[in-house]
Amino acid sequence: MKKTAPSPSERATGPAYWRSLDQLADTPEFREWVEREFPEGASEFSDPVSRRHFVKIMSASFLLAGFGLTGCRRPEETILPFAEQPEHYVHGVAQQFATAMPDRATALPLVVRSSDGRPTKIEGNRLHPDSNGGTDVFAQASLLDLYDPDRAQRFTRGGNTVRREEALDQLRSIATKFAANKGKGLAFLSAHSSSPSRARLEKALRETLPEARWHQHEAVDLETAGHVASRLAGRPVRPHYKLEKAKRLLTLDFDFVGAEADSATLIRGFAAGRRLQDSHGDMSRLYAVESLMTSTGVSADHRLRVPSSAVQAVAAALGAQLAPDNAALSELASRSPLPGGVDRKWIVECARDLAAHKGESIILAGHRQPPAVHAIVALLNDVLNNRGATVLYTDSVPPAGDLAELASILKAGQVDTLVVLGGNPVLTAPADLQWAETQGKAKTVLRLGYYEDETFAGCQWHLPAAHYLESWGDARTGDGTYVPVQPLLAPLFGGLTELEVLARIGGLDVTRPHDIVRETFNGMAGGSASDNAWKKFLHDGFLAETGGRLALNVSLDGSEAASILRAATVAPGPSVENLEVVIHRDLKVDDGRYSNNGWMQELPDPLTKITWDNAVTLSRKTASEIGVKNGDVVEVTLDGRTIEGPVWVQPGQADYSLGLAVGYGRQRTATGGTGRVGHGVGLFNAYALRTTRSGSIGTGAKIRSTGRSYKIASTQDHGSMEGRPIVREANLDDYKAHPGFARNMDLESHYGAIPGFPLDAEGRPKKIYENPYHAYETRGSQVGVTLDTIIKSDVHQWGMSIDLSACVGCTACVVACQSENNIPIVGKDQVSRDREMHWIRIDRYFSGASEKAAPEQIDDPQVINQPMLCQHCEDAPCESVCPVNATVHDAEGLNVMAYNRCVGTRYCSNNCPYKVRRFNFFDYNKHSVEDRYKTPLATGHKGSWNLVNWFRRPEEHHTVPDDQWELLKLVRNPSVSVRMRGVMEKCTFCVQRIEQAKITQKNKAGQSGDVQVPDGAVVTACQQACPADAIVFGNLLDPESRVSQLKKNERDYGVLAFLDNRPRVTYLARIRNPNPAMPDVRDNPLNLQEYMDSQHANPFEAHHGAVEGGGHGGQAAGKGGAH
Amino acid sequence: MASPATSLPAIPEVPRELERQPLVLNQRSLGWLSDHITAVIEGKTPKWWWATFLVSLSLLGIGTWCVAYLISTGVGVWGLMIPVGWAWDITNFVFWIGIGHAGTLISAILFLLRQKWRTSINRAAEAMTIFAVMCAGIFPLIHVGRVWLAWWLLPLPNANSIWPQFRSPLLWDVFAVSTYFTVSLLFWYMGLIPDLATMRDRAKTKIRKILYGLGALGWIGSNRHWSNYEKAYLLLAGLSTPLVLSVHSIVSFDFAVSQVPGWHTTIFPPYFVAGAIFSGFGMVLSLLVPLRTLCRLEDVITTRHVELMCKVVLATGSMVGYAYGMEFFIAWYSGNPYELYAFKNRAFGPYYWAYWTMVTCNVISPQFFWFKKIRRNMVLVFILSIFVNIGMWFERFVIIVTSLHRDYMPANWAYFRPTWVDIWTFVGTFGLFMTLFMLFMRFLPMIAIAEVKGVTPHADPHHPLGGAKEGGHH
Repeated sequence: MKKTAPSPSERATGPAYWRSLDQLADTPEFREWVEREFPEGASEFSDPVSRRHFVKIMSASFLLAGFGLTGCRRPEETILPFAEQPEHYVHGVAQQFATAMPDRATALPLVVRSSDGRPTKIEGNRLHPDSNGGTDVFAQASLLDLYDPDRAQRFTRGGNTVRREEALDQLRSIATKFAANKGKGLAFLSAHSSSPSRARLEKALRETLPEARWHQHEAVDLETAGHVASRLAGRPVRPHYKLEKAKRLLTLDFDFVGAEADSATLIRGFAAGRRLQDSHGDMSRLYAVESLMTSTGVSADHRLRVPSSAVQAVAAALGAQLAPDNAALSELASRSPLPGGVDRKWIVECARDLAAHKGESIILAGHRQPPAVHAIVALLNDVLNNRGATVLYTDSVPPAGDLAELASILKAGQVDTLVVLGGNPVLTAPADLQWAETQGKAKTVLRLGYYEDETFAGCQWHLPAAHYLESWGDARTGDGTYVPVQPLLAPLFGGLTELEVLARIGGLDVTRPHDIVRETFNGMAGGSASDNAWKKFLHDGFLAETGGRLALNVSLDGSEAASILRAATVAPGPSVENLEVVIHRDLKVDDGRYSNNGWMQELPDPLTKITWDNAVTLSRKTASEIGVKNGDVVEVTLDGRTIEGPVWVQPGQADYSLGLAVGYGRQRTATGGTGRVGHGVGLFNAYALRTTRSGSIGTGAKIRSTGRSYKIASTQDHGSMEGRPIVREANLDDYKAHPGFARNMDLESHYGAIPGFPLDAEGRPKKIYENPYHAYETRGSQVGVTLDTIIKSDVHQWGMSIDLSACVGCTACVVACQSENNIPIVGKDQVSRDREMHWIRIDRYFSGASEKAAPEQIDDPQVINQPMLCQHCEDAPCESVCPVNATVHDAEGLNVMAYNRCVGTRYCSNNCPYKVRRFNFFDYNKHSVEDRYKTPLATGHKGSWNLVNWFRRPEEHHTVPDDQWELLKLVRNPSVSVRMRGVMEKCTFCVQRIEQAKITQKNKAGQSGDVQVPDGAVVTACQQACPADAIVFGNLLDPESRVSQLKKNERDYGVLAFLDNRPRVTYLARIRNPNPAMPDVRDNPLNLQEYMDSQHANPFEAHHGAVEGGGHGGQAAGKGGAH
Repeated sequence: MASPATSLPAIPEVPRELERQPLVLNQRSLGWLSDHITAVIEGKTPKWWWATFLVSLSLLGIGTWCVAYLISTGVGVWGLMIPVGWAWDITNFVFWIGIGHAGTLISAILFLLRQKWRTSINRAAEAMTIFAVMCAGIFPLIHVGRVWLAWWLLPLPNANSIWPQFRSPLLWDVFAVSTYFTVSLLFWYMGLIPDLATMRDRAKTKIRKILYGLGALGWIGSNRHWSNYEKAYLLLAGLSTPLVLSVHSIVSFDFAVSQVPGWHTTIFPPYFVAGAIFSGFGMVLSLLVPLRTLCRLEDVITTRHVELMCKVVLATGSMVGYAYGMEFFIAWYSGNPYELYAFKNRAFGPYYWAYWTMVTCNVISPQFFWFKKIRRNMVLVFILSIFVNIGMWFERFVIIVTSLHRDYMPANWAYFRPTWVDIWTFVGTFGLFMTLFMLFMRFLPMIAIAEVKGVTPHADPHHPLGGAKEGGHH
């Protein structure tokens, strides 16, 4: 390894003198001379105050040179050694910092891992009172944005790069200009924020610049419930939901898994309310009313499929049931006909069930829904005594003006300077506002933006925004807890934060974001808080006392609600001539902010499993009436605006309702746009259809087939489980009566069919050949401890349990795994060839998707998710077929891959019944998506090796990848090797984390010899990210560990365990909790029914002599099989 | 050179029913045999040879480029994916290995069974075997992700003390195929020695004399030479015989030892061997039927030879058909729904077209060989033999791809499509095969001259034409 420490150049020969008398005197001139010799930032050396800052800068900049990368055999490093080792810094040992990810009007508390100065993994902050350490999928992916080579890296004026100082001067000149006229002609356009510091600055600026205008715009406004509640309460409030306390839930177009604010918290609460410890437990029941098929609908026990525009009618009818004496409600209900095909009994029974659980139920309305629905929901939650129990209100900020108002004053020429803070209004503003043009009415547009995107083109001044991991800030989480946004590194490209820009425009004295936040904190913590309190705040990642603000006692104004209800318009039901368009937040790219994030683009949508695209989703009936099938390109027209996009038939979607995800169809052009990753992804931009009038639910749309078709890359082609007991599920009552049904479902349960068949101690058929794993055990004990410990550790045996009842399919685990394990993205073409690399995937099965299914089962399917990853079989089929011993078993029960040894026969994958192994068909880590098929034998190939260069210019035998590649490499986890082409890879159970925990424990144990890692010390990346706590990992040899306990649960079963692979990952069967009084209740979950019909088996009967409790599981079932 | 027709001695009448049909027609003399067989080498290069050779060479060139592209860029240039981790690569491997079966079967097993008719076809069949095994060997080598490390499959002592995994059928493959190739090559070369000596003796140019002379290893045709030769030949035949059975059994273990439904079946070893013989004879027919006409060797490779081979094709084709049926029966009888699904899916799933192509070619087309008229019609035999080749390629494709594309977990199911690189790599191996075969037939005697002479009436001392009679010796 070549290390070149830069040092002041000296002549090698000649007499040695002091450099100058200045050196002796340590004059400023000399110091300046030294500074010039060093790279930028080295001058910090001479300033003892900011040595910490120096360390941050240096780590960032020498990491840019490729430092710390694994996978490169011999990186050439140019590093400056520490003159003085920073405290607590151990080279190669990662550090954790608490921070938070601001997300619209809320925030997610985080703990971020820093590897040698660069953030490499984002995790939830489990210390936070309203978090279990889980995150949503966006938080996981936001890390990649930090290292996005396409992010705004420069300050520009009229599109030309200027120095940072010039931009700061401009801010100062704005400040001076408007200080004189109290802000007349100055307008701010910002996105939602929960930052108390921003609120404080804004307040200060409103005082000094009273004439300035403040407006807010969110591409997808998730705060509708808050807006309506504020109107009803007469003060700015924001609702916060306690789903864990709700026994009955009703969601009205409210997709808490993927589309609403605070999804991680909501998922955690929901899963907690459904967790079954054993067959005596109780679980909550979810009713979902929705148009799109969402993950919330997947989790629902009863799902009502209605168009989004008809949800109001359902809500009104429900309201009329629950609050019959509310005149305005009854009036609305009477003039809103129920949508066709809806059984009134559904609503009546649902209302009855909710009413039977007063104070422990909750009704939730989605952000897309009109104010009337939110008003009904607020009223009904009051009627059901849910306010104060499951629905809490927290303080919020007063609303600012909206975009339409800003447009009108812009058009009136009242705006001289428009300051755009975040957001991308040119892309996301309602189409009728023609924002690019409207914005141009201001003399000067100054924008702080993360990308040089669509809005960039019209901005005179563009300042790069800092990523939240580079910036000081603060925020409030959903429950109102005050959290810090703490940087892990200095801004890579000198970006600014919103706080700094506001402070500078306001001409405030304090402009350093750190100081602004500290000041806010002092105010929060009461007076001038001590340094220790501040340190604790940063260490814990939240201010504990602030969460207590929750129990705001507000009263809702019935007359205000009545006026909202009376103003509500009733849309006619959609038909094939008059379609409904639902323009929705995408589960991957959000409102387009993650368009350039490869992890998100490649993440399969939880329902459609589409990657790298959006599609016009519609129901089977709608598709057949229009005469289109998957991939056909259609033209959707709404109010004279047209988009063209491919069709995707989505089982479970409401008829005559089209689902259009925003954030796609973006281009990268010379004047801005999305980055290279997002360029041209998706055929259409759904924002182009959205107007001020239509909102997110447009009615009266037309559709026409263009006759063309388009290739969509989906990661799962087959939706039916074919009657196979892969995901096992039952209704709650059946589970209570037959707790062991899950182990009574696959081929192993038929063993007892042959009378007199010899059985082993566990009640299973005696093997002709002994399971090698058992053979090791017995042989080990014969020979003595040595062999035993070599072959099988008696300290740790790792295993995992996944609760299918808890999993809601949010896919946070998939991205967490990708981030932790350096999993490459492969691109749309490779995904369409079934070569995606995710180590954990969510299998999605539709019941009734088989050809034999009845049409109503296809239209109203039950859907199940199953996280699938390497099962770490004890008797792994992959191991015995590998000709070179590249995949082997370790002493602790892990099925490990030796990448170095793998030659890539792919036999292991063929023999893996779960198909969880992933093969590097190309050098995914070295070549960009476009270069996959370019051979290094040809010219023009850019990559690690190029024949022509090697032949002609041997010194340049590898073409140097450009800076962008180097930047992207920084996201890699240094503890995990980067795989080259031609090798197989798969889930390792995060072996790097296991080893880290073992080392820590060994150090701690010292002479005591207690090397067993305590339960909970090893948390895999997927488990860590899971907001539902569905994944539990741990030591099976510790009988008290959570995983051991879960494996004793009667619901525990192994997928395909009849193969006697002995998977170390087992699943807890899914339990549904249907209401027997409902019209759509089914005797059994549809998949179970299909299994029972096609296999002629009934798991609730002890058939063929096998009984419940038999079969394979973590537990040796005592009841046996021979009866 | 005396015309045999003019100097025929009178032969005592033998009752017609006792007369065996001679293996060389028209009572061709030994000299005629030498002259005619070597004429292919010594004569002027025919135009059809150049045409075939150049086409083959171009295909070989394309194939070589495809392999270079594959190795330099990644296995992804093929259509493989997860779940179908093997597709055309292993299909082609098994296909070529299967073809390589006929040669050794003809030379070894038929030799031990004293089937004298084998002498007219064994040389070409053995050459075909060797070239086919070479084509086959390419695929397991290049299909791995890191070709440059493929030598790790060999049990070589190394610094890391890591041995190959002896439980893996892929490793057994390495041993089985390399052994088979080595023994086949030795056997073939052994048989060539007397003929190479003939070529040496007939050579008119110095360079030929030297090269054939080197190959002939100083053969002078002495009694001692012949005696050693016969013993060695017998030994090698004995050694090769189990190999004929073992190679394809072991190749079938690649599938049978796994637990993929549709692969995990005990019927595979015998079924694969039958299929291999079937395809091998199919390929021998495809090659020799046109060649016997083109090289005017109808008197040596007679209609009877073709007929006998057709009968082998009929027998083995029927065995293969039986195996197809039995697989279905066992899948049903086992009561294993995964197994049953795999077989139903073969016949009626997305790859039904491949399955029914296979059944048509492998089960139905050989049944025409029940008819003597068809067996004796060279055009039809050639067409049917091509069907056999197509069918056997599809058999391997069906086994490999249809089993993998839908196995245990429906969420993984996918549909495999080949890329142009898949197709041209396969076509390229035909280029290699035909290039080698063209070179072989042009530069080496494609019929075992010495052995054919041994089965002519002239070589039989009890035959009126045999022994050291006047005019009988040349």
